[in-house]
Amino acid sequence: MEVHYRVRRPIRLEARFRVQGFTLLLGESGVGKTTLLKALAGLLPAEGTPYGGLPPEKRPIGYLPQDLALFPHMTAWENVAFPLHGKDAKAKALALLERVGLLDHAHKRPRALSGGQKQRVALARALARSPEVLLLDEPTSALDPLTKDQVLAELIALIRQEGLPALAVSHDPALAGMADWLVVLGRGRVLQEGPPDEVMAAPGSVEVARLLGYQNLFPARVVEGGVVVEGVFLRLPLPPWARPGRRAWLGVRAEEVIVVREDRPLPRKTCWRAS
Amino acid sequence: MPEPEFFLALRLSLLVASLSAVLLLLLGTPLAWALAFRDFPGKALLEAVFLLPLVLPPTVLGFYLLLFLGPEGPWTKLIGVSWAFRLEGLLFASVLFSLPFALTAYREAFLSLDRDLLEVARTLGVPRRKAYARVVFPLVWPGLLSGTLLAFAHTLGEFGVVLMVGGSIPGKTQMVSIYLYDLVQALRFAEAAKASSFLLLLSLLILVSVRLLEGRWRAWRSTTG
Repeated sequence: MEVHYRVRRPIRLEARFRVQGFTLLLGESGVGKTTLLKALAGLLPAEGTPYGGLPPEKRPIGYLPQDLALFPHMTAWENVAFPLHGKDAKAKALALLERVGLLDHAHKRPRALSGGQKQRVALARALARSPEVLLLDEPTSALDPLTKDQVLAELIALIRQEGLPALAVSHDPALAGMADWLVVLGRGRVLQEGPPDEVMAAPGSVEVARLLGYQNLFPARVVEGGVVVEGVFLRLPLPPWARPGRRAWLGVRAEEVIVVREDRPLPRKTCWRAS
Repeated sequence: MPEPEFFLALRLSLLVASLSAVLLLLLGTPLAWALAFRDFPGKALLEAVFLLPLVLPPTVLGFYLLLFLGPEGPWTKLIGVSWAFRLEGLLFASVLFSLPFALTAYREAFLSLDRDLLEVARTLGVPRRKAYARVVFPLVWPGLLSGTLLAFAHTLGEFGVVLMVGGSIPGKTQMVSIYLYDLVQALRFAEAAKASSFLLLLSLLILVSVRLLEGRWRAWRSTTG
């Protein structure tokens, strides 16, 4: 699915990108991630495709806001049955709850559910209106930090099982590994998109590298067989564009570095002595 | 027990209070919604005008209303009959006088509504009417009801405005607060004491119901998220 949206307020933004499978839209707080989702859902004045000009109730989308917005005065199955009508609404709602593995909690109010369970009720409710695409705003924000990766992986597995494309926005680069497609949003525009491993391996700019979690970025000079950073030569496989003499940035992710005690044997990798 | 005149005056007060409470609910709800969620030029001035009866001496409001509704007033010229010293005049005055109470309570009820709930309801493909009936109304009605009860109790206790607009015609415009004032003026303290204790209990009962409603409302609100 191709998305092209232009928003003027509250943030000026023009974004054109692809949504395929579970797509993660990564960006810092304040660049307009939530604004873009709301614009897609028809909740903000915006122009673009798909669904441009339609009121929210006519757009085939499933929107899961950051706080999930389950109706507090309804039980789980009543929440799921909300978009349904007809006599078999309850049966359909219970079937949907079973699909997300929550049949046993059908009669509980949202406050009696955990963060992950609430998320699955919200998913079931969104599925009830048969959407073409799911929109998830910061899907890990309502989750317990200890279990969020696992809960999110389960949610993504459920979404894949439904065969629905989904657009999740987040500022957390740790989610990129779980996505099928990665879009990096900068101020007012899309900076880069592609399969997560490709984007991760070759960020198009320093800004993208920072957003992707490269905490250590150094200005470097390309030399034969590597780069020189602050007088230190590093032996590295070079990308094709890196000719000797060119200036470049060297990015190191924190998890790519290990610290070894001095009295232990050195690993067979690039090593520095430091204090 | 208080004497029959008391119950006549009480009946009138209850009638005026209930009718103006219903009118306030009908008028105040859309108005409070607009004040809570819409932006329009002159909004601050409009809010100030609606809140004016809170700070204005009731006799000042009553005086202007008397001029407005009296035989020479613009309202009389418009509809052809004077509402001064009649039930209609009492109602008109009571609605204006209690409007700030109802409006503030209603607006509070709307403002504490989580807007995400309404937005999500709209994305779920249901008509707007259904979203309001099944999401907004169940969450705000305790707030609306407690505001209406407060306005009702406030109308029951009004004195200056209704004295100016309605006077004190027994059985016609003599509200219970004015009846009580007349008793004291006539030095009939025993009757005044009985009537007062009756009103005290009634007001207390209303306020307890308001508190209980608010408690229930809070309990519901806390379930969000």
